[in-house]
Amino acid sequence: MSRRLVGSAAATLVMVLAAGCGGGSQADGKIELSLGLFSDFGYDKLIEEYMASHSNIKIEQRKVKMEQHNTQLATQLAGGRGAADIVALEEGVVSQFRASKDKFVNLAEYGAKDLKDQWAGWKWNQGTADGGEFVLGLGTDMGSLGLCYRADLFAAAGLPTDRTEVAKLWPTWADYAKVADQFAAKTPNVKFVDTGRNVYKAILDQTEEGYFAKDDSYIAEKNDKVKTAFDTAAALGTKGQTGALEPFSQDWNVALKQGSFATTTCPAWALALIKAGAGDAAAGKWDVTTAPGGGGNWGGSFLAVPKQGKHPKEAYELAKWLTAPEQQKRIFKETGNLPSQPKVYQDAEVQATVNEYFNKAPVGQIFATSAESLKPTYRGTKDSKVGPVFATALTRVEQGKQSGAEAWTQALKEATDAAK
Amino acid sequence: MTVTRPETEAAPAVSVSPSKEPKRFRLSHWDARYTPYLIIAPFFLVFGIFGLYPLVYTAWVSLHDWQLIDGNQGFVGVANYVELFGDAKFWNALFNTLSLFVLSTVPQLLAALGLAALLDRGLRGSAFWRAGVLLPNVISVAAVALVFAQFFGRDFGIVNFLLGFVGIDPIDWRAETWASHLAVSTMVMWRWTGYNALIYLAAMQSVPKDMYESATLDGAGRWRMFWSITVPSIKPTILFTVVTSTIGGLQLFAEPALFDPGFAANNSTGGSDRQFQTLVLYMYEKGFRLFDAGYAATVAWMLFVVVLIVAIINFALTRRIAGKG
Repeated sequence: MSRRLVGSAAATLVMVLAAGCGGGSQADGKIELSLGLFSDFGYDKLIEEYMASHSNIKIEQRKVKMEQHNTQLATQLAGGRGAADIVALEEGVVSQFRASKDKFVNLAEYGAKDLKDQWAGWKWNQGTADGGEFVLGLGTDMGSLGLCYRADLFAAAGLPTDRTEVAKLWPTWADYAKVADQFAAKTPNVKFVDTGRNVYKAILDQTEEGYFAKDDSYIAEKNDKVKTAFDTAAALGTKGQTGALEPFSQDWNVALKQGSFATTTCPAWALALIKAGAGDAAAGKWDVTTAPGGGGNWGGSFLAVPKQGKHPKEAYELAKWLTAPEQQKRIFKETGNLPSQPKVYQDAEVQATVNEYFNKAPVGQIFATSAESLKPTYRGTKDSKVGPVFATALTRVEQGKQSGAEAWTQALKEATDAAK
Repeated sequence: MTVTRPETEAAPAVSVSPSKEPKRFRLSHWDARYTPYLIIAPFFLVFGIFGLYPLVYTAWVSLHDWQLIDGNQGFVGVANYVELFGDAKFWNALFNTLSLFVLSTVPQLLAALGLAALLDRGLRGSAFWRAGVLLPNVISVAAVALVFAQFFGRDFGIVNFLLGFVGIDPIDWRAETWASHLAVSTMVMWRWTGYNALIYLAAMQSVPKDMYESATLDGAGRWRMFWSITVPSIKPTILFTVVTSTIGGLQLFAEPALFDPGFAANNSTGGSDRQFQTLVLYMYEKGFRLFDAGYAATVAWMLFVVVLIVAIINFALTRRIAGKG
């Protein structure tokens, strides 16, 4: 009796487990593909069209927050099951997943290398390994840098409000800091910038090497550019010119709504976040212009195919279609996510795009120009482990807990540990 | 635990010659002897699969250099444990965990006791009040944490707003260690006080009323009766809540995690300088942000040991205190 009980319990368990990790082919004979995404890739309509034209394919989107997405994906890759057929890899973590590329399908096997010329060279390179022999992911959007500012708050501080005039105020980040001083003198109750962390991140994204040299060696402590970026941001924090906000958090949203800061760094994808946070009441108040220090890239993603999926070929076909020029153009028009393909962002229609919410700013032109001049930063394998250490260090400065120098010393120590 | 049954003791005396023993008798004898084990077996089976196996496997992982995605990178012995004992971040997390545990559990259980005593006095609409105290526990922890995170906002939080009325400057609830511990503890207390109060209430209602009656005749006041009759009578229940609160309190994760606005981003360290990073948060950071599964497993095992030690201390202390009456 006891053995039978154990037996039946085990059988039940096996059934439960089998049901849990099912998926893939369905009873109706359709191939089921899942897409693991975060935030808004703008794929809803595209997917419906794809299913309409491919009657044998059924697509399911899974959207979660980015951090959760990355963690989930890591555990799914480790466990060997559960990952979506196509997963999005964000630029900040793609190098980390590249180190585990044996868990992914080499898209070159399905002819991905023929598509190479669609993308900006650096974007293609970020998604590949082994000198381009291993194609990990196909590029979706990119995060070309701009700077967003509240024109009404600038007017109150006696600063110019026209976006070309504003751009002339800050050719460099040092000039930007000077504008911050002027702004603070006139309007002490409004913070000049939301957070020093984003300033730091933006400056760093304008250099070719940050924490890691192109040979993946750790160079943060001897790279002057990291120190300069940190000092610039820390100085803003020490002077109380930042809102000391966690970027893109609930507090950040509230501050946007209350109009308690006047500028923020704007990668193309951030426009949607600002609009959502500030709401309709602030329509036309926010504007976007060129960032100090030239072009840079922050964010943007890739579509990759984990090896554990059952239909790698169909998954590749879908990823290829979703990242194709025609689709990237449509996504830009619908969501504002900037295409990572020169032919698309140079397209007359894309260049002519204006954003109504941001005081009819010619976003197509601003971001495409920034994209042309950008020097992509090399992301080391452990970039995503080191970066947050410096971010929290800047928060300590903004909270008044440490001086810039103290925060820097502690950050270097922690970063060296994280880079081990 | 030893289970002695009269039948089993008597059995050998009867069956001097087992071969002659009737089959029917032997069956019922076996039935009496083994059925209890059989009935509790499913629990241990499930516990073995979902409790013991992960526990042992975690210990195994903690002895290796183990990367989350790429798996086993080689046996390293106790190297992870050696590193852990010299890791200031671990001790910081341990301090935070114990501090948060004391700050939330002690007032929580005392408040629950008081609340239960009030509910036990036969209020009008008692069902309403009793259901009411359980409400905070029914609401999802994520929702509670989000609301409290807003309450304790630095710039636009309602707590700072109210403190402003009594002339206290705004507090940066996430920057100061003590302030953050206070805020997180408030969340925990909000969620669990009612739950524990209901458990105490159930126990209080089974205390014989004649004990109170005779105490009243002897001239005892309410306060005296509460400490001399009620509390000693519900001793086992208090023990139970102390042990479960200990286990829950030391495994605190969701509340501090969601209190940290960085949790949604990629830097969930429980404050800019780990002001409220608990052991579980530290384990999460190591395992799921830095992908160092070996070290995370080591933290997990140390947490297990800490819970065990604190639970034993608690058990002994509570038994002694409650035993006085």
